[in-house]
Amino acid sequence: MKNLAAPSGLAGARSHSKTDWSRNQFFDWPLAAIALSVSLAYFLGAKIGFALTLRPHPVSVLWPPNSILLAALLLTPVRIWWVILLAALPAHLAAQLQSNVPPTMILCWFISNSCEALIGAGCVRYLIDRPVRFDRLRNVGIFCFFAAFLGPFLSSFLDAAFVVINHWGQDSYWQVWRIRFTSNVLTALTLVPFVVSWSAEGIAWLGKIRRSRFLEAGLLLLGLLSVNTIAFYKFAPPADSALLYLPLPFLIWAAVRFGSRGASAAICTVGFLAIWSAGHGYGPFSTRSAEENALSIQMFLIVMSVPLMLLAAVIEERSKGETTLREREERISLAAESADLAFWTINFERKESWMSDNGRAIFNFGPDEPLSRELFLSRVHPEDRNAVDEAIESARASSQTFEFEYRLLRPDGETRWLISRGRYGYNDRGGIRELIGVAIDVTAQVKANLQLRLQREEMAHMSRVWSMGELTASLAHELNQPLSAIASNVAAGSRFLTQGSLEAKMFEELLADVAADARRASDIIHGIHDFVRKREGTRRLVNLNEIIREVLRLLHSDLLGRATSVETQLDPSLPSVDADPVQLQQVLLNLLMNSLEAMQSTPEDKRSVVISTTCEASSTVTVSLRDYGSGLPEEDMDKVFTHFYSTKPNGMGMGLTIVRSIIEEHGGKLWAENVDGGARFSFRLPVTAKNETGEIV
Amino acid sequence: MSGATELVCVVDDDQSVRRGLGRLLKSAGYAAETFSSAEDYLAREIFEGPICLVLDVRMPGLKGPALQEALEKRGACEQIVFLTGHGDVPTAARAMKRGAVDFLTKPFDDEELILAVKRALERAEEQLRSRTERREARRRIEKLTPREFEVLHFVVKGLLNKQIAAEMHTAEKTIKVHRGRVMQKLGVTSVADLVRISQRAGVSPARGPA
Repeated sequence: MKNLAAPSGLAGARSHSKTDWSRNQFFDWPLAAIALSVSLAYFLGAKIGFALTLRPHPVSVLWPPNSILLAALLLTPVRIWWVILLAALPAHLAAQLQSNVPPTMILCWFISNSCEALIGAGCVRYLIDRPVRFDRLRNVGIFCFFAAFLGPFLSSFLDAAFVVINHWGQDSYWQVWRIRFTSNVLTALTLVPFVVSWSAEGIAWLGKIRRSRFLEAGLLLLGLLSVNTIAFYKFAPPADSALLYLPLPFLIWAAVRFGSRGASAAICTVGFLAIWSAGHGYGPFSTRSAEENALSIQMFLIVMSVPLMLLAAVIEERSKGETTLREREERISLAAESADLAFWTINFERKESWMSDNGRAIFNFGPDEPLSRELFLSRVHPEDRNAVDEAIESARASSQTFEFEYRLLRPDGETRWLISRGRYGYNDRGGIRELIGVAIDVTAQVKANLQLRLQREEMAHMSRVWSMGELTASLAHELNQPLSAIASNVAAGSRFLTQGSLEAKMFEELLADVAADARRASDIIHGIHDFVRKREGTRRLVNLNEIIREVLRLLHSDLLGRATSVETQLDPSLPSVDADPVQLQQVLLNLLMNSLEAMQSTPEDKRSVVISTTCEASSTVTVSLRDYGSGLPEEDMDKVFTHFYSTKPNGMGMGLTIVRSIIEEHGGKLWAENVDGGARFSFRLPVTAKNETGEIV
Repeated sequence: MSGATELVCVVDDDQSVRRGLGRLLKSAGYAAETFSSAEDYLAREIFEGPICLVLDVRMPGLKGPALQEALEKRGACEQIVFLTGHGDVPTAARAMKRGAVDFLTKPFDDEELILAVKRALERAEEQLRSRTERREARRRIEKLTPREFEVLHFVVKGLLNKQIAAEMHTAEKTIKVHRGRVMQKLGVTSVADLVRISQRAGVSPARGPA
């Protein structure tokens, strides 16, 4: 039985229940257990219904089976409603057959009762996502109208028709309709919320409740029972009807303190006691005919229960909202603490301001110091103050979110780096209501970046010194050219002087040559000095073609010594890039040296480097160096740019790493590829490169 | 020094070095011409007199064995003084092996350079003179008839007239006549001169003229 039931009901239902609290839900039970419990509850409900019938009135004041059926449908997936209805049928027959009602009438009643439950449950389930709970005003409203009113209202027409057709009893069609309608409305209003709210979440939650709550519940129950005894049993008849108000404070207590569960349980208690007392001839509802008495009780209970349920829903909704709000606030302040965030608001209408605790710590504000734009600006570093003020002002004018990075100069002399983000809030009339924002302390990151930058510069410097070392022979040669020219000219001049054959024009030319060569020698030394000395990066607009020419001048003699020819294919209309010229020289020098070394075993007549520059859509500039060397090892293609990777026996393996870090710092990209008979290194730089982090230093 | 009959050619790709060297050589009284590459120099019409080439080792284009070959092919008579940058020892060694007169490191002493140029020119002149003599000797020997040449061959070998006659199956008197004609054609008066001119022309005592 269980195995048979599991695939259709159990597995299907499980897929709906994702959250933890639903673990013990009624519809998670095996299908057979659901069917059995519905059957049992239906039968018991019928028994109670019979017990609460006011004799000789034929209709029960409260008829629980209909509500049991409705509650079962509300709690289960639509897929297994047929099981619920099938399970209720034998219970219905078993209960009704004990009374002397014809079987056709019994079946007709089952049909009308099922219709009522289906109409109510169908509408509610269409409008409310599972699980159905009575903790929201909307849900309670939908339930009251569709399940408690519309279901009984429509199905009672059918039911009355069945009664008349079967000639059961002596009442007219409208009499039957009226009696059944009020009875079923009452049952739906009192029993369904009780059953649904108490069974929907199982009983696991009971374990988590504090003892004081149990105590309070006990007191409430005690109070409720006492006043009910007084109102419905002790003083009557003909007691003052004002006594009927006695349970009201306890009902409100239940709704306010215990929500929909408490309210529905309290209503059930009151209803049961009131009907039982009336049935046994006690209390204010036992004075007139059975039919009139029943109607009085029903009206009394209906009027009591609807506002009470709505009240409970409102209270639960509000406390849930408060819980959500508190949780959100806790999450925000946790985030604020862990991320060194400062949250703040300034309300201009109420003249109030608030800032999170660690915000006040960051800005060094006193705990109750009122915030203002002036106070905030007084903490901003004087050099950043104007820019920040302008950013806030333009955000106010354009009603957009502002974000800016700035330094904070605190009264204790400490400088901190912050990023602030905020916006103005406006009221209905378009006036400024508040200014809200958040500030992040990024001092640690900025310092780390600075440190990293220094390390990178140090490494780049070392590499430059190293490559100069590599180039000594070349540089000496390069320097010896002008020096030997000067020496020759001077020697020639002095010889001509000694011989007395010095022509003025020739001597003039000679001196001009000497001066030019001296300049040339000093330029070379300047170039080396600029290249090697420690320095902070300075960026300006540079033309890569020029940088390439400079580097080729520097390497001129080395290229000759290595019998390597260099072909340049430079785009004459190349746009400038914003870059550090020395660092780009270093990049080109390293790449060129790399190419030269790769061609050491290439035959002399094949040794050649092709350097080209191109511009892509005026937005990027690409420089490529193609050599005819040994190429790159295919499997190590990615490792070429990593630290200390070198295929050369005497390489330090730092050159290409530095090249990459320089290019990336300039917002560019470096890549390498093997081409026919050699390798090609290329890098691409943005034309309007403006470094985001570079401005800080 | 014979003035305009000698020539010093400076080949350097660096213009200012070229001009400085040119001036220095002129101040020392040499006729100097400058070229920016070996190819440029090779394009110049052949100078018949002694030439000193002042050549930078590091230069684009033609150099090394290729240049040496090209120079020999032209048949001019250059002696080379190499110039180099600092510390280029292997290149220097290779240059000297190829027969350079001297090898100077930049920046060089002017006296040193002039001295090297002078030596190179002397060597070039000497080379030129020996080449002229050899050419003259050959021109004269080529005038001999085969029989006269045969006689010369035996005379250089040191045979007596009688022995030569026996070798050639002829009369001693005939040999005497041939010998007199050979002396006359070669313009010598003694056997010693005869031997020297034969050697200069490359006539080996064992075999005929090369």
